[in-house]
Amino acid sequence: MDRHLSATLKRAQEPLALGAVGSMLIVAALLPFVFLVVNLVRAPAELSAGLALLGSREPWFVFLRSVGSALVVALASMLVGMPLGLLLGCTDVRGRKAALILHVFPVFLPPFLLALGWFHLFGRSGLWGGSEWTSGALFSLGGSVAVEALAFAPVVTSLVALALQGIDPSLVEAARVTARPGRVATRILLPLAWPAAALGGLVVFALSLSELGVPMFLRVRSYSAAVFARLGAVQYAPGEALVLTLPMLLISIALLVLERRLVGPRSFSVLGLRSTGKTVLPLGSWRPIGTLVAWAGALATLFPFVGLAWRASTGTAAVQDWIGSGVQNSIVPAAIAATLLSGMAVVLGRAIALRRAGAKALDALTVLAFVTPAAVLGVGLIGVWNRSGTQPIYGTLAIIVIGFVARYAVLPTRTFALAVARASPHFEESAAVEGAWFLRRLVRIVVPLHAGAIVAAWLLAFVFCLRDLETTILFYPAGSAPLTVRIITLEANGPEPVVAALALVHTSIVAAALVLGALAFRPRRRA
Amino acid sequence: MTTPISVDRVAFRRGAQDILSEVSLSIDAAQVVAILGPSGSGKSTLLRVVLGLVAPDRGFVRLDGEVVSADGRIFRPPEERGLAVVFQDLALWPHLTVRGNLAFGLAAKHLPADVQDERISRVLRRVSLQGKQDRYPANLSGGERQRVAIARALVLEPRALLLDEPLSNLDVPLKRELLGLLKEILRERRVTAVYVTHDLREAMQLAHRFAVLEAGRISQTGTLDELFANPTTAFLRALREDVDPVSAPTSV
Repeated sequence: MDRHLSATLKRAQEPLALGAVGSMLIVAALLPFVFLVVNLVRAPAELSAGLALLGSREPWFVFLRSVGSALVVALASMLVGMPLGLLLGCTDVRGRKAALILHVFPVFLPPFLLALGWFHLFGRSGLWGGSEWTSGALFSLGGSVAVEALAFAPVVTSLVALALQGIDPSLVEAARVTARPGRVATRILLPLAWPAAALGGLVVFALSLSELGVPMFLRVRSYSAAVFARLGAVQYAPGEALVLTLPMLLISIALLVLERRLVGPRSFSVLGLRSTGKTVLPLGSWRPIGTLVAWAGALATLFPFVGLAWRASTGTAAVQDWIGSGVQNSIVPAAIAATLLSGMAVVLGRAIALRRAGAKALDALTVLAFVTPAAVLGVGLIGVWNRSGTQPIYGTLAIIVIGFVARYAVLPTRTFALAVARASPHFEESAAVEGAWFLRRLVRIVVPLHAGAIVAAWLLAFVFCLRDLETTILFYPAGSAPLTVRIITLEANGPEPVVAALALVHTSIVAAALVLGALAFRPRRRA
Repeated sequence: MTTPISVDRVAFRRGAQDILSEVSLSIDAAQVVAILGPSGSGKSTLLRVVLGLVAPDRGFVRLDGEVVSADGRIFRPPEERGLAVVFQDLALWPHLTVRGNLAFGLAAKHLPADVQDERISRVLRRVSLQGKQDRYPANLSGGERQRVAIARALVLEPRALLLDEPLSNLDVPLKRELLGLLKEILRERRVTAVYVTHDLREAMQLAHRFAVLEAGRISQTGTLDELFANPTTAFLRALREDVDPVSAPTSV
């Protein structure tokens, strides 16, 4: 009997582990949606004002404007990111690795920090500005779109570069025998990288629609900000906020469907499954121009740091007084969430790569939570957790961790899934045939084999949690404001040099995390 | 005495494509059966069905008379089948030393440490890898890696050994050397084995019987003489002509 029970438990290890991860995801990410849908369907009295609001023109105007600008941001990011991804991903431009790293770095920062940097360059009292025109252009819908497009373009660049690096070099070599580099790029490489670019565009659209900091800072009305405002003290109207999430919820579902259609089934091939070598397309006489364009594009995303550094240099004596516990409040929940997410990613990412039952549905849930504007997810999370019995969670950093798990699960999960999909399935199958059950295989084979991917997954989750503003600003516990919230709050009424210095502190933390992660990620040769 | 491996009317589909159709095959104890077939004929899938890595949509797989998979269900998962496998890519775990690779399966069976040490030393000696147990796979030559993969499978003393084109990427002298070693070991240990390949010359070195798999169906089984006496398919005729050019029809 004991032997029978033991055998049953061993066989159940894998479904139990996946079930545990699935339960965590359901609690963190699905319950908020269930809350939203149930409450919208039941439509209690408090929602009647909200429903009336949706009957007016105003919210629809803001909604369509937000969707339209997110669309323009996505298209502009693709326009910048695709050629840069091509140049930095697989040509022989000089210093392409360094240029790619510098170009991609701002993705790991809250975009409003970049807006702050542009403000200190082109604002009324900026380093290169000083005119009404530049300031007016920045503080406009066009300015907001431009800032976001430059902030998010590296998403497309990196995905395209990654996809191109995964292409079999022989495909390019076969084309080079008969065509010039330009034709190889446009007829072979870009079509092969198109799904990755489309995925990038989709992610940028979702990020832009979610974006709160940039429109708030540049005084541009956005739909996310309208929802957020109804959860704040001045305009507090949770019923209206709930109703306002409805159109965004529909957009999220549309994005999920689009992701499934565009890339879902082939996301591994999109991101370079089983690359066999590095594809290098020599540009020939175009190399100097290619190098110039690539570096110009890479450096353009770094200009805001010049503005921040210049403004910070004009007086940072009081930074220590203003920073408070912001750094700690940022790092602690981000590290806890990243650790939790990496553990979940090992189980779920592997299950997705190996097409285990139930993994596809959980993968769709993580995508839905990521593409859903943070304001929508936030309203759902508040509804689920802001109850008298759950205050030990809602009143502490735990709620931020739950928010992070819900919103960013897709990033480490896909990172790990990609690593597993790239490796030979025979590594684990051999272990199974040798009698090792799931947990033993996981600990002895899967984890050590993909240790680098786990570090990368942790790091990605950590920096995305660190950069988060939209989720945390909705429900950070009193007195526990993370650095991003502290900066955007101070931006309204704090001393400019201090705010710029705080932005640089945040940038330095992210840079340090990435450098440490890169050192840990460096492959070691076994002697 | 029961048959170590028996496959009975197994069918397997992937999407709309039939990978295996009505495949039946039985392998007696201490017998080496070669499964021959062109690329894409379903050879590796058949091996995966026997290993329990995938379930047959229809039909039965029996090990020593016990039904282990049938009609879309796996009753005994790979961990419980007592088989061993050598894949084409060898799948040596790169983060484990040679000893770690060999000890992994033994530890999973909870064998005492002294038994593990004794078995590992014995097998490493047999494949001429003594003194290399602390090396990582990356620091071994191609031939040494092949030997580790064979040793890793043999150290488990499995009820049957399944080999999925393990030598297909090797140069001729190394292939010849390893085939000789494999033949000796399989004979002296009386190992029941299934050897999947598309190379008849390889199979001839090792196998007692042959099964020809084409488009997911077993087209012919028997000894080499039986197969060549009456080759029923073009693939088999081509194989015969390859090893025995005299039998080829004369062109005018």
